[in-house]
Amino acid sequence: MDRLAYGLAALAGIGATALGGYGMFGGVWTLRLAWLVPLGGLELTLDPLGGFFLALIGFTLVPASIYAMGSSGGERRDRFAYLVFVLSMCLVPLASNTMTFAITWELMSLASYFLVLHDRESKESIHAGWVYAVMTHAGLACLLAGMLLLGAWTGSPRFEDWRAAAPALSGTARDVAFVLLVLGFAGKAGVIPLHVWLPLAHPAAPSHVSALMSGVMIKMGVYGILRASLDWLGAGPAWWGVAVLLAGAASSVIGVLYALVDHDLKRLLAFHSIENIGIILLGIGSAMLYQQAGLEALALLGLAAALYHTVNHAAFKALLFLGAGAVVHATGTRNMEEMGGLIKRMPWTAVCFLVGSAAIAALPPLNGFVSEWLTFLVLFQNTRLDAPGLSLVFTLGIASLALTSGLAMACFVKAFGITFLALPRSDAAARAHEVPPTMRVAMAALAASCVALGVGPTLVVPALGSIAASVLGVTPPATVGDWLTLRVSGTFASLSTLAIAIALGLALLLPLVALPLVGASRRTRGYETWGCGRIVQTARMEYTATAFANPFKRVFDFFYRPAKRLDIEFHPESRFFVERIEYENPARSIFDDWLYRPALDLLRAGARAARTLQSGSANLYLAYILAALLLMLVLA
Amino acid sequence: MFRQLRTALHAGIVTEPVARGAEIERIGERLAGEIARLFARSLAIRQVDAGSCNGCELEIAGLTGPHYDLERFGVHFVASPRHADCLLVTGPVTRNMAEALRRTWEATPDPKFVIAVGDCGRDGGIFRGSYAVVGGVADVVPVDAVISGCPPSPAALLAGILEAIGRRR
Repeated sequence: MDRLAYGLAALAGIGATALGGYGMFGGVWTLRLAWLVPLGGLELTLDPLGGFFLALIGFTLVPASIYAMGSSGGERRDRFAYLVFVLSMCLVPLASNTMTFAITWELMSLASYFLVLHDRESKESIHAGWVYAVMTHAGLACLLAGMLLLGAWTGSPRFEDWRAAAPALSGTARDVAFVLLVLGFAGKAGVIPLHVWLPLAHPAAPSHVSALMSGVMIKMGVYGILRASLDWLGAGPAWWGVAVLLAGAASSVIGVLYALVDHDLKRLLAFHSIENIGIILLGIGSAMLYQQAGLEALALLGLAAALYHTVNHAAFKALLFLGAGAVVHATGTRNMEEMGGLIKRMPWTAVCFLVGSAAIAALPPLNGFVSEWLTFLVLFQNTRLDAPGLSLVFTLGIASLALTSGLAMACFVKAFGITFLALPRSDAAARAHEVPPTMRVAMAALAASCVALGVGPTLVVPALGSIAASVLGVTPPATVGDWLTLRVSGTFASLSTLAIAIALGLALLLPLVALPLVGASRRTRGYETWGCGRIVQTARMEYTATAFANPFKRVFDFFYRPAKRLDIEFHPESRFFVERIEYENPARSIFDDWLYRPALDLLRAGARAARTLQSGSANLYLAYILAALLLMLVLA
Repeated sequence: MFRQLRTALHAGIVTEPVARGAEIERIGERLAGEIARLFARSLAIRQVDAGSCNGCELEIAGLTGPHYDLERFGVHFVASPRHADCLLVTGPVTRNMAEALRRTWEATPDPKFVIAVGDCGRDGGIFRGSYAVVGGVADVVPVDAVISGCPPSPAALLAGILEAIGRRR
């Protein structure tokens, strides 16, 4: 039963990839069932952008479903929710009128809510599910308001008609629609400060679901932002692009800063999703700004970079979540401080996780490097805009992307080092064992795709360029280099990750060949691992994740505002003998303390004030009805 | 972060300039020449405190500071014996540190050399014969050179390292 459900999901993934691929390369397909749902009927249309996101869903869905066959499948309820989730998600990029979109979007959100809530006993899951439900429905409210307003102004619920009519709307109307739509989609994408549900919901869901939620579901938010700002509303004023770019800069830096001090493996990955969405938004924001300034080639490149990072993030983040799931499966904990030594016990998982870590840390020749390089390239060419104010915004984007890349590197040194290296820090980690073959196959496939996307940008970029060109309504560039080297923006920059990969491979082989040639001594002497001269080595002497993160916590203390708690219990006879030390150094979220708590307090106070209206007395309610009636009569 | 930046701005430069033609410069230049010839311009030293009073450590730490700035002659203090060419051992070897020193020596890749620093490192110094002390460095691991002094001055340390390299030829 397990295998049947997940097998079906994997088949759906293959189908989605095929259909999406067909759409990406210009295929057109429409389905209209006017009788199925009211207000415009069910309407699905395949276009290059929708096809791209559909193919992306399929590409992540197949390994996630294969992985799910190997891990414990959960209850029947979970399998049903999973199928509803993936099928509705596949329909979101195809929806082409308000009603279809709202239904598929809401089905996707509801099904994922039930998946987040799969562990109904734990308080943590219930809280995560609650926050997720509130955030996603607040987003939906914004989306529906934006879509209904746009529908009313243009006189049609169909997206196709918006495309034709929206550019003629007044500036204010377009601004209102933009703000509402982008706010709604940004909530789904996890853009700062609407990110609060991600670090709760991703760890609570089963790992194959986290992989899909982080890998592709939040990308539906990106899809929506792209649709709203570049497709439905057409080119907008410069502040739209500035807003998106700044949101991207803030999300990338703040996301990685939170990830750095979190030692829950899955929550750390969730924070990295926020960071990567930020990087994608940097590309989209610059594309919007360049398009507004009439620099079509640069807008095209910015959008292509954003789409490239979208694919890459889906590949490496799904891989990392599946790897984290394998580790949690084997050790029974998500706390990195209780792991360690897993590379000896789970070599497959360790290698796959290492590939994913290197990819997300943007190390060449892996895929994360290529898309971050492209994003940098796009940001660096801001001098071609003749606007010093905008150049300042771009510079901010460059600085935050640079800081983000460095911190992401540090974070994954921590994530991989503490989880997989050294001695096991707990009995559970010492007893860990490799996961079943289906789970390994899924991870290996994603790791291979990370490498392929890294060494093959010369094949990927033209395809993404044609999708971006169809969104922006321009002609794609004729050439982006040859089979070996990627050349973009004329002679501005070129990159050959394939050459880097070959050079790195040769450099690894070089000592083996060169040392005997120059006659170096091959004499070796074995001695135990260096342990600072200690006679007994235990896991208690190891570097911890907390210690690794502490320097960053100190440097950025104005952001983390750490609350240090030190509790020492001495021996009753002498203070020189310590019985127990408890040390806690948690970071406090500025968004919880300064944004959400005041807002919720205000809401609660408002609700309390409004409750006095509802006294429970039927006489009073009759008086309300009378008053309302009189008011209506007067107004009419 | 902001506090650190403020402090750095306020403090300014507090190091005194080194006198031209000082002894340390003359020895340093000869040392740099030898290191360039024998160690491809980089000599990696692992310092081991086998039970020192930290007098020698103060002088050694002074060498790496901005005043003497040892690194310009190609001498680097490294964080692990795995990276070292040379062990610089201070202090009388205490019973607690004897095994650690032995392990450090084993963990240093061959070819290597050991310099015992200070009167204590030479033969146990004033701690010789104590129940807590095994003896000088040479009683635990083979020693190639000794730098006497309590503590030896930075110039004496440099001269000692130079002599030790010269002896290795």
